[in-house]
Amino acid sequence: MVKILQIEGISLQFGGVKALNDVSFHIEEGEIFSLIGPNGAGKTSMLNCISGLYHPSQGSIKYKDEEITKMKAYSRTNLGIARAFQNIALFEHMSVLDNLMLGRHTLMKSGPFSGGFYFGKAEKEEVDNREHVEQVIEFLDLQEIRHTPVERLAYGQQKRVEVGRALALSPELILLDEPMAGMNKVEKERMAQLILKMKDNGITVVLIEHDLGVVMRLSDHIAVLDFGKQIGFGTPNEVQENPEVIKAYIGENVS
Amino acid sequence: MKSILGKNLGNYRTSYRADMALLNSRNKKIGMVILLLVIFLLPMFASNYFIGLMTLCIISSIGAIGLNILTGFTGQISIGVGAFLGVGGYASAILTTSMGYSFWIALPLAGIITAIIGGLFGIPSLRLKGLYLAIATLAAQFVILFIIRRWVSLTNGTSGMVLQRPTIGDFALSSNTSYYYLSAIAFLLSAFYAINLVRSRTGRAFFAVRDRDMAAQIMGINLFKYKVMAFAISSFFIGIAGSLLAHYTMIVSPEFYEINVSIQYLAMILIGGLGSVFGSILGAFFITLLPVVLNIIVGSLSGILTDLSHILSAFEEFVFGAVIILFLIFEPGGLAHMWSNTVNYFKKWPFSY
Ligand SMILES: Nc1ncnc2c1ncn2[C@@H]1O[C@H](COP(=O)(O)OP(=O)(O)OP(=O)(O)O)[C@@H](O)[C@H]1O
Ligand SMILES: [Mg+2]
Repeated sequence: MVKILQIEGISLQFGGVKALNDVSFHIEEGEIFSLIGPNGAGKTSMLNCISGLYHPSQGSIKYKDEEITKMKAYSRTNLGIARAFQNIALFEHMSVLDNLMLGRHTLMKSGPFSGGFYFGKAEKEEVDNREHVEQVIEFLDLQEIRHTPVERLAYGQQKRVEVGRALALSPELILLDEPMAGMNKVEKERMAQLILKMKDNGITVVLIEHDLGVVMRLSDHIAVLDFGKQIGFGTPNEVQENPEVIKAYIGENVS
Repeated sequence: MKSILGKNLGNYRTSYRADMALLNSRNKKIGMVILLLVIFLLPMFASNYFIGLMTLCIISSIGAIGLNILTGFTGQISIGVGAFLGVGGYASAILTTSMGYSFWIALPLAGIITAIIGGLFGIPSLRLKGLYLAIATLAAQFVILFIIRRWVSLTNGTSGMVLQRPTIGDFALSSNTSYYYLSAIAFLLSAFYAINLVRSRTGRAFFAVRDRDMAAQIMGINLFKYKVMAFAISSFFIGIAGSLLAHYTMIVSPEFYEINVSIQYLAMILIGGLGSVFGSILGAFFITLLPVVLNIIVGSLSGILTDLSHILSAFEEFVFGAVIILFLIFEPGGLAHMWSNTVNYFKKWPFSY
């Protein structure tokens, strides 16, 4: 298996708080990889390091063997890394469609000249990308709300648009930070199916999720964080049998 | 490019194109035709004085559209518009009067020079946001005017410079009507550009930078590039407005470009509607015409109340301030929002409640 992402010895500090402490794992191309751990364990911080929003004090991150630890966030997006945020970070005033079209920013080219006159190439590009975005709309069942400003949507719908925007990027690696939070059983199952479909389409998925049932069912590999430390890494079975993980999750049903 | 479902949606293509067209409804097309007719037939019905006023309104509209691209679209307040108008005006004056270039070369060059200088003053936007950035643009206002006043060999200092009206062959655009048509064409091009920009990749990126810069980065948007680009594009239009204004009044002088002009332009986009091209135009007309209307009111009142004339002279500034404050409190969406509310009301009529 080819390693798409390699995390080596990442540490991140906020004042006295060690949000991440010497974390190392790797993600294989085309798999579903889950990052789990109690609240405040450092899961979102890890994604922020991968996205380039936080810069770790130590360690290295390699994407397809390329060192990206110091790379700017927007350049990482150009490499095909997409992200859906835990706290929805949509552009509220814009329609669902415009949010998804923003997801395609890096795949489009038109600049302030061609865009301002909207002829020929620029128009064709808009139409082509709109077609792609319509596929995402269908994939996530957003047809009814495509022209609605995001601020008027219910939480569950916004969550789906958040995932859709990341998906619109046609990513190779998608980082999903609790995409099922606040969803009921039916919605959760639907999202789980979508994540499996992403995998079928060759997208590597990094998932953060608190529902361990879902995590165990979907994941190929799992890393477990606790207070910034990595206490487990392996297949679902390996992780479930890891005594440290059982200790951290005491009282919770790991299977 | 990976397609998620591998489906071919090609047959929808025509409907997207129609959905995304600028004038995607019959009413919009009719409205556009009426607007163009009004603009081009106006000189046949209006007085020379009125055409002069309209010329000022549409030139201001170009500047206001420019400022709105920076402040309304991209969320960066600038208090330097006055000075950037000056850069456009002086660039045009120096290129034509001192260097002998034709107006037709000077006009686009004035835009480009202002865009470059605007872009340079936009560089601090990488580190500064909100009020801090506003202060940096205030510095631009003072630095630029200082240079204009002191670089006497280039700008003639405080005495200003004289400009000529442009010519087409032997025909000079010296009448109000001919200059009105010139300005109207520049205005329509600017509005067309800005409306398209809003719905293009660049426009969406501007809005993204304004609303959530962290998420914008994750979309692959280089914040610095887009912020500086907004400064440059915005300044281009302000430079064009400055050049048009200078050739209209045929004089440039530092006192035309003071900070009160910057405030007026901010008032235009606030009252018109932040982030709206149409609002920029409404606001520019409103702020340009407000003193004229107030003057008429004051003139007719002071005929009756001669003792109060000195109080009434302060009336204008008071109303100007009051109008801005009232808009900020009661209609933050500006005139553009009031307009769309009114239109919606009549669309639903008689079922509106
Ligand atoms: N920007 C920040 N400034 C200061 N502290 C931070 C910041 N971001 C995260 N932290 C701290 O880092 C630690 C890890 O936070 P993080 O958000 O990564 O946890 P998490 O595993 O995602 O938790 P949750 O399951 O609640 O989302 C916490 O103690 C948090 O307070
Ligand atoms: Mg989190």
